[in-house]
Amino acid sequence: MPSFFKRGKQVKNNPNKKDGINHNLPQPLNISLAVNLDFINQKTGNSSDIVIRTKKIGTHTQLTTAVLYVEGMVNEQSIQDFLIESMMNNSKDLNALGPQEALEKLAEDVVSLGHVTWVQEWDALFLSLMSGNTIILVDGVKKALNVSTKGGEKRAIEEPSSQVTVRGPRDGFTESLSTNTTLIRKRINSPNLWVESMQIGRVTNTKVAMVYVHGIANDKIVNEVRRRLKAIDIDSILESGYIEQLIEDQTSTTFPTLYHTERPDSVAGNLLEGRVAIIVDGTPFVLLAPAIFIQFFQAVEDYYARFDISTALRFLRILIFFISIIAPATFVAATTFHQEMIPTNLVIAIAAQRETVPFPAFVEAAMMEVTFEILREAGIRLPRAVGSAISIVGALVIGQAAVQAGIVTPAMVIIVSITAIANFATPSFAMAISARLIRFAFMVAAALFGFYGVILGLIMLILHLCGLRSFGVPYMTPIAPVIPAELGDTFIRVPWWALWRRPSFISSNRTRKGKNKHPQPPRSRGIVNTDMEQGDRNES
Amino acid sequence: MNRKTVFLILFLSVAFLSGCYSQKELTDLAIISALGIDKNENGRYVVTFQIVNPGNVAGGQQVSGGAQGPPITAFSVTGDNLVEISRKATTRLSRKMYYAHANLLVISEKLAKTEGILKLIDAFDRDPEFRNTASIVISRDVKAADFVKTLTPVDKIPSNKVIKTLKFSEQRWGRILDVNLQDVMKSLISPGKGLVLSGFRLFGDRPLGKTMQNIQQTNPLVTIRADGLAVFKDGKLVDWIEGKNAGGTLWILNKIKATDVDILWKKEKDAISYQVTRQQTKVSASMKKGVPVMLVDVRAEGGIGAVKVPVNLNSPNVILAVERALEKEIQKEIQGAVQHAQKDKSDIFGFGEVVHRTDPAAWKKLKHDWNDAAFPKVKVKVKVDAFVRRSGLRNKPFLSNFEK
Amino acid sequence: MEKAKISSYQLFVLMFLFELGSALLVPLAMGAKQDAWIAILIGMVGGFFLFFIYLRLYFYYPDIPPTEYAQRIMGKWLGRCIAFFYILYFAYLAARVLRDFGEMLITFAYPETPLFITNTLFMLVVIYGVRKGIEVMARAGELLFVLMYLLAAVGFVLIVASGLIDLNNIKPILEEGIRPVVKTALTQTLFIPFGESVVFAMIFPYLNNPKKLKWTGLCALGLSGFNLAIAMAINISVLGVDLATRSQFPLLSTVQSISIAEFLERLDVFFMLALIINGFFKIGLFFYVTVTATASLFKIKKPSSLAYPLGIVTLLLSNTIASNFSEHLQEGLRQVPFILHLPFQVIIPLLLLIVAFFINRKKSSKQKNDIHR
Repeated sequence: MPSFFKRGKQVKNNPNKKDGINHNLPQPLNISLAVNLDFINQKTGNSSDIVIRTKKIGTHTQLTTAVLYVEGMVNEQSIQDFLIESMMNNSKDLNALGPQEALEKLAEDVVSLGHVTWVQEWDALFLSLMSGNTIILVDGVKKALNVSTKGGEKRAIEEPSSQVTVRGPRDGFTESLSTNTTLIRKRINSPNLWVESMQIGRVTNTKVAMVYVHGIANDKIVNEVRRRLKAIDIDSILESGYIEQLIEDQTSTTFPTLYHTERPDSVAGNLLEGRVAIIVDGTPFVLLAPAIFIQFFQAVEDYYARFDISTALRFLRILIFFISIIAPATFVAATTFHQEMIPTNLVIAIAAQRETVPFPAFVEAAMMEVTFEILREAGIRLPRAVGSAISIVGALVIGQAAVQAGIVTPAMVIIVSITAIANFATPSFAMAISARLIRFAFMVAAALFGFYGVILGLIMLILHLCGLRSFGVPYMTPIAPVIPAELGDTFIRVPWWALWRRPSFISSNRTRKGKNKHPQPPRSRGIVNTDMEQGDRNES
Repeated sequence: MNRKTVFLILFLSVAFLSGCYSQKELTDLAIISALGIDKNENGRYVVTFQIVNPGNVAGGQQVSGGAQGPPITAFSVTGDNLVEISRKATTRLSRKMYYAHANLLVISEKLAKTEGILKLIDAFDRDPEFRNTASIVISRDVKAADFVKTLTPVDKIPSNKVIKTLKFSEQRWGRILDVNLQDVMKSLISPGKGLVLSGFRLFGDRPLGKTMQNIQQTNPLVTIRADGLAVFKDGKLVDWIEGKNAGGTLWILNKIKATDVDILWKKEKDAISYQVTRQQTKVSASMKKGVPVMLVDVRAEGGIGAVKVPVNLNSPNVILAVERALEKEIQKEIQGAVQHAQKDKSDIFGFGEVVHRTDPAAWKKLKHDWNDAAFPKVKVKVKVDAFVRRSGLRNKPFLSNFEK
Repeated sequence: MEKAKISSYQLFVLMFLFELGSALLVPLAMGAKQDAWIAILIGMVGGFFLFFIYLRLYFYYPDIPPTEYAQRIMGKWLGRCIAFFYILYFAYLAARVLRDFGEMLITFAYPETPLFITNTLFMLVVIYGVRKGIEVMARAGELLFVLMYLLAAVGFVLIVASGLIDLNNIKPILEEGIRPVVKTALTQTLFIPFGESVVFAMIFPYLNNPKKLKWTGLCALGLSGFNLAIAMAINISVLGVDLATRSQFPLLSTVQSISIAEFLERLDVFFMLALIINGFFKIGLFFYVTVTATASLFKIKKPSSLAYPLGIVTLLLSNTIASNFSEHLQEGLRQVPFILHLPFQVIIPLLLLIVAFFINRKKSSKQKNDIHR
């Protein structure tokens, strides 16, 4: 048996021949500009979006320089204003200088742009060129000037579409990594907010930033995240989902073991709990590690609303999660195995509905659920304007028509709709979609063995959940293993004045704030203005 | 990885190869709402099944097919024992018999008198499908078959009607008793507690009760009415308790939730109606010279419901007098019930269990011949505390001014 | 031994769920009639003493499981024999409990399903759990413990609310004197379920805080004992002595009697499922211990690889130990306590403890002598 299963693994990757791209280019630049430009052209296949502008500067020495950048990736305005113009204007100053000195002069005085570095090797040159920097080459020098002119088209900061709140900030992450780090730093104005950048993806060279609050984040977890990120060896990273799948603890699970969000306030809050954020250039979804189960039921708004309301809502969400997993299964089990459980009048009502339906309950349920999934998927893929309308109308029409045609029972339509709505109400999409999938497994179990199947499924589900870990943190902490001190922010959320510790299983620095910060309003009950004038009259 | 695959394959194959054993679709079930048990001339059991016709009960929108049919279907099957009958019944029916919602068991008076119910109970008790909370009643003077087949208005399913009658009449009237299968077994097995079951009669032209005509009239042709309590001894029906004695029985059994007591006032019969709203009965026992003496301590609270004679209900003294009269009346009811039961030699009040609890040693001696020897000799002292708490919206009746 | 650590709270939860396990299901201590609850409490006190035996042994050898310290105490050959018989004992008990639950399922809800099928499914879930290891089972226990208690509370409220409890049913207390009660306690409740905590001797070495062990164990035994006593008292007060004695599964019959507003009826299926959770932990722990004991005795490096073969053995055993349910129950309540429970729960541990006591005294006196010299 083992050999049969192992056969697929025989082909081992040869690390040296990965993509036909030779990465081992520690070659230095050539001294001749023409050779260099030729090489660049050859390497980039004469790509038309690479702008090479050769110029002669200086009135006497006639130094040939070349300015290179990739169209659209740079801020062309600043190149024009601060680079090319200033090179023209300062042309005279470069007169008496050799190529080397001229370039140094350029770097020091002429280029009035923020970040200027030297590049000596080809791969570094290409990397900065491709990421939107401008390269200045001078004939006769083996170095190039790397001017930071990153820019180009960016989406404006908008309200995140995936996690909407009634109360809370309205900005969301964009596709730009720098914007995203800015959004976080705007919230945490502390030198302890550390950003570690790295590039992952042999072809895409995607910038990935690891963000954490030094002193709050647990070093072990930070190191672990770093280790796993460094270990990634893949050609491309186009979205944070790539990274998520490459660094998660356990792969054979439908549950998300990394949290992703579009909301900077959520990230900031999590960073302050000691988590590590992984920001990937090109996507507004930021990963947070480690993630725990209960986190997926916490909406940011919970922390802004009063604690009693958020507590009630959290209970509701857990209920919702259970409904979305086992509601159809329960219905199938009750109507095909355990009719005695249903109150007599209800069983007669359901039986009356079912009289005309030609399918077994399970087939009926599965049919409706699949239909609903189709509608939902269609609703997502359709252009936004028609999407929601179609899905609602589709559901209504199909539901109504199917009932009238006697193909499904109204009771089943109710169950399916409840499940669907419950699924939409789960705050985390990743968790909701996992519930969607598990639901079908439970339906099958219910159809085969009734409630016995459902309960065995539930036990397995709980065992599975308890066995998961996210960066070493058991997934069900702090519920199982129970950490009584941390239960304040799980099913319930205690008020902020009582939430004075950070989760011990994540953070190394546990004190969030001083103890006993219960609000203590003045005891006066008088009207403020009169009190101001006449003192505390109401105080006896 | 391999192991997971193996596990998955194993699990799935076990699941799919073995599933659906006990599965039963709703459309394949005949939901039985009531069972009637008779005995025919040949001494064989006749069981009548009342089967719900779901489409005609629930007013669903897709119920089509013209005229509304009857909400139930009923038929009788003859056989030697209940299990055989249950299996045999499938020849008459297109579906699997489903007993889990049968909450009424009707036993005919004749069967209860001649053979008793001892032999019947086991099949119901043993079957996990049958609920042990199902109520049991006796059909008086009629065959259980006729009873079960009769259609009822308001509550479409006849068994529901009977159960609700039992429940509400016990609560509001206090002369019949809702007894379920489990209670029956407890009573039958305990030597210190006899069994009482409620009786039901059919009034009207019996055959018409089976037609839709019956429920298409404002005044149904055949009605089902609760009437009397059946006293059992050794599992056999021996006598009926009716009227006030039935009330007295419920007083002792502490089952009165609300009832009506009418008292004599200045020689006018049933002059004042007293509505009981709360009742508590405690029964205790003591031994005197080897004979148990029972003390029935009743406490009743309630208000005045109606007054036929001029009486000044403002006066606490009058209220006190009313209370005395009430106590006497209730005492009379209870003593009547006790005498009746002692005559029947069946301890339907559970006095024996009280003796058992208070004096286990004495009980050991009395146990064997409790119903026949000891119980009829038991002295019963009744102590009643009745309280009139309020007298409704008015104090004096309007009659008191009318006569002036 | 897998490398795992469980906290004392987790041990508490496991012990609690384990003790309730099938004891909640079967007609426990019915020999004592209406005083069954007293018999359970007496059994519990006896269970404390047995627990102390296992505890002492653990303190002599805190790092190794009984399968190994039996060898150190009794010598290699005899110790191995003892360990081997313990493995058989645990496997047999796992099979017994599995059978209990299979029978319950078939009786109450799945009359047409073969016993083999219900047991196979259960066993598959147990194997899944055991393969995940003791830590995961302990964590799942923490979650399900809360769930169980909520359900129990709901059940209790429902029973009270439907006015079923008639405390007169458990009177007269000690009608026949204390003797039949003590007899039932000593022949039955002491062993089932309290003495069965002998499995935890295999679990103790995983504990991360041995100091708390004593109180953890006592609390778990005490709480479960009280809960069982309450449950049994409720059963009897609802069903009456006679019906409770005749019931194969008294608790479920009690739940079946609940009827509130003609809406909440026939909740037995629901509670049956809750009981399955308990059953999972009882079978799971017996089976886990079987697997780890086998692994440690036969020096198998990966205990989880034993889960499938031993699981199949247990499964087949559960089907073949009795030809019908009555036989199964009679064996369990009459024969097994004397033939199996008495030696394995009391005699052998006591023997081990006595020998261990002398060995260790010799050692310590030797050490003392060494120091003196």
